[in-house]
Amino acid sequence: MLKCTINGVELEVKEGTSIIQAMFDNHQKIAHYCWHPGLSIAGVCRLCMVEIEGNPRLQIACNTVVTEGMNINNTSSKVQEAVKWGLDFHLINHPLDCPICDQAGECGLQDQYMEFGQYTSEMAEPKQKKRKVVDLGPTIVLDSERCILCSRCVRFTDEVSKTNELGIFNRGDHAEIGTHDGKKLDNRYSLNTVDICPVGALTSKDFRFKQRAWYLKDSDTICNGCSTGCNVKVYFNKEGLFRVKPRFNAEVNGHWMCDDGRNTYKFVNKEARLEKSQEYKNGAWNVTGAAGAVTKSFSKLLASAQPEEIGLVLTGQLTNEEYESILNTFTNTLKTKNIYHWKSPETEKNNFDGLLIRADKNPNTNGLLAAFKKHGISSTWTDLEAKLNSKQIKNLVVIGPENIAVYKDIETQVNLFTKASNLMYFTSAQVAALKASQNIQSVTLIPLKTFIEKSGSFTNHAGKVQAFKKVTTIVSDALNVNEVAQLLAGQEIKLQFVPTENLFIAENLRPDQVRLELRKKNEFFFNKG
Amino acid sequence: METKYLTEFYHLPEFKNLDGYRKNGGYIQLTKALLMQPQAIIDEVKASGLRGRGGAGFSTGMKWGFLPKNNEPRYLLCNADEGEPGTFKDRMMMEKAPHQLIEGMIISAFAIGSKKSYIYVRGEYEESITTLLTAIQEAYKAGLLGKNILGSGFDHDMDVYRGAGAYICGEETGMISSLEGLKGQPKLKPPFPAVQGFLKKPTIVNNVETLAAVKYILRDGAQGYRKYGTEKSAGTKLFSLSGNVNKPGNYEVPLAYPLKDMINILGGGIKNGKKLKAVIPGGSSAPVMTAEEVERATLDYECLAQMGTMLGSGAIIVIDDSKCMVECLANLTHFYRHESCGQCTPCREGTGWLEKIVHSILSGNGRMEDIDLLIKVADNMKGKTICALSDAAALPVLSFVTKFRDEFEYFVQHGKSKVKGTAYKTPNYIADKGHAHA
Repeated sequence: MLKCTINGVELEVKEGTSIIQAMFDNHQKIAHYCWHPGLSIAGVCRLCMVEIEGNPRLQIACNTVVTEGMNINNTSSKVQEAVKWGLDFHLINHPLDCPICDQAGECGLQDQYMEFGQYTSEMAEPKQKKRKVVDLGPTIVLDSERCILCSRCVRFTDEVSKTNELGIFNRGDHAEIGTHDGKKLDNRYSLNTVDICPVGALTSKDFRFKQRAWYLKDSDTICNGCSTGCNVKVYFNKEGLFRVKPRFNAEVNGHWMCDDGRNTYKFVNKEARLEKSQEYKNGAWNVTGAAGAVTKSFSKLLASAQPEEIGLVLTGQLTNEEYESILNTFTNTLKTKNIYHWKSPETEKNNFDGLLIRADKNPNTNGLLAAFKKHGISSTWTDLEAKLNSKQIKNLVVIGPENIAVYKDIETQVNLFTKASNLMYFTSAQVAALKASQNIQSVTLIPLKTFIEKSGSFTNHAGKVQAFKKVTTIVSDALNVNEVAQLLAGQEIKLQFVPTENLFIAENLRPDQVRLELRKKNEFFFNKG
Repeated sequence: METKYLTEFYHLPEFKNLDGYRKNGGYIQLTKALLMQPQAIIDEVKASGLRGRGGAGFSTGMKWGFLPKNNEPRYLLCNADEGEPGTFKDRMMMEKAPHQLIEGMIISAFAIGSKKSYIYVRGEYEESITTLLTAIQEAYKAGLLGKNILGSGFDHDMDVYRGAGAYICGEETGMISSLEGLKGQPKLKPPFPAVQGFLKKPTIVNNVETLAAVKYILRDGAQGYRKYGTEKSAGTKLFSLSGNVNKPGNYEVPLAYPLKDMINILGGGIKNGKKLKAVIPGGSSAPVMTAEEVERATLDYECLAQMGTMLGSGAIIVIDDSKCMVECLANLTHFYRHESCGQCTPCREGTGWLEKIVHSILSGNGRMEDIDLLIKVADNMKGKTICALSDAAALPVLSFVTKFRDEFEYFVQHGKSKVKGTAYKTPNYIADKGHAHA
């Protein structure tokens, strides 16, 4: 360990630590664009200038390693002046189209300007013209004029995704980001470049023009896109969820997440959801009562049935806590072991792509298997098929997947489930396959909550248990599986109804106050990296 | 009078060939060197006070001393990119005496323990490249290159690499990037090339003239070499004299030679009987000197540094009193904007900004505050970037504007040149490219 002083604060840092890393670790503010803790050092934005005692020249903090007794500051007027000018060089050719820029509100240039700038630009010459609205690939659009050529995106494709699509072309103030001849920015991690872009140069086709950053609240959760369990932040407001971004966790996902994971918000939003309980009776689908009441009514039916006439189907998409409570209800109260694991067919040849993506598209298969083991359940899918065909199982409870798109076998399986004379299908998603099914007898659809709407934990591929908290409520009538378990066991529960409309403004904040909150929590310097 | 030390036999056409070179003392020092301890050669070079002739003037012996003391493979690169405007001495050296460079390089490579060297030649130097290639072939045939050179057990291979015409590839790490097949952009330092350079291996980059001089240091000893020049600026140096003089060309003189003699005696005075107005003493990046300063200046590292400018690559550009300094600066700012690699923000944006301001003044749209703005922008580009191109772009601006401020003010006030009395005509290089104001 080395001792050094940064801005008057004595610190101990590991040997080989750069000044910027030391400042970052100790929550000291330092302006920077090109440095990113997950990428190599470029040293090109020249903004992270620091003054080191005994050195007449300002040094960049990203490429200077701390040495014993080093006395560093970045608050002197010399540094402040250098940063101010460094920022102005970034801004002279920047279009300043903040009102129509998606990055506005979470832009590195805006943040630094408020921090170090607040001057009137002396640039009176015409700005450089560069390409606008460049289609880089299926996910991303580039605006070269906004680009500050920090090269983070280029380094990402070179070093992390190793797909090498991007490069900087031309020289001097004609330099532009672009894709190499005949290539598109098309890889399964492409949207990370949008996250690390400190300005509005790279924008996500999925998110651009949908929402202003200051109308969004963010909350931490775990991605339920696959068994890796990337730590993520979701951005939402009362209209629903708008995007998912990675959150740093050295043990799980580092700084990154895959593009598939970013789509997980889509099946959470209202458009894709089952909002009310529905019942198939006399050849027609009808909306029935509240989900809780409908579920409660089943408890009597199940209690009166023989244990061997009851069946339960689960997927790897529920929380550990939910597995525990639902298995408790079925094995202890209803005394059945007819409990089955509905696996999503593994769609990819390789189990793991070497970075983050895993073939098991369920976030909690490990949790399910552990719960099955604990409750002594070892039934097979063929067993379920046999018992349904032989009409042994009459009352089947299915807790369907929320990420329905990865269950490519849904049609086949739904046709299997409907063989039960009484099917209770709990689902957060709309199940088109069930509606299309020909031989339906008696089916009840009951809305479930998604991972965004409940607290709990997932056990990822490596056995790491990751807890997450409820983010918001999208479908207020939906139940979580803990509630389902209690209701089916015949217990009373107190359902909490939260009017969806109140969620975003529940704290009675004006948008600018919300933004202020976000800023406090989410400062560019500390969290954006 | 010129002091023909390195250039002693340059008038002989045969000096280009191996036979002619050998007849005039060629490769004797190599034979001698191969019998020496490598460290002894490094010590001799260090003692000679030889300083890098490419522009920075850093002690060559000291640079070699930075190499790690182990058996890691290492490279010797000869910087023959010679991109500094006004410089053409390396070209002459390669065309007239390729073996002088090759011998110097083999000796240097032996001293630092390098088995492979490259000569990175400016792309436009067709003749230098062919001359060098022929000479290298001759050397291979004569057993001067390749395995077991002259029976010494020392192996060395040499290659020529042709640059593609970027000024920035004359910066040593930019050159290394280019040689590695990457975009010619300087690399972050540290690590310095001596520790981690070409292909991440220890690398020494030296200028053509520096490497050629090594042979003479061995021949005459450090003390013999120090016969020329001063204590801190030892030896002779080739100067490329250009601009408004009667006899432009390359002149070899001992360091500390008076600048005014260079212009008036060797250069034959100012052309067409005009008066001297200004001199850029060390390539276009060196701050400009006024006629009055020229009187006092001697051509050595210390004197010029003291006067706020630099010896640089030894390119002396003479400007007479019929030239408009605003236009001269416009030419320079255009060059640096065109050649900025675009990596570091202050340089990428600053060089363009400087050019735009100067052109605004030239086109009659200048504002009085633009003159101070030029100084502010240039000031803030200095010392802020990975390499020295940003400084190289800023220094001429600072010196032109401060020393010839009256011409800039006149142009802003009257919309025409104080010297020429005419308004500005778009020079060809801007009309052609069409991007100066784009």
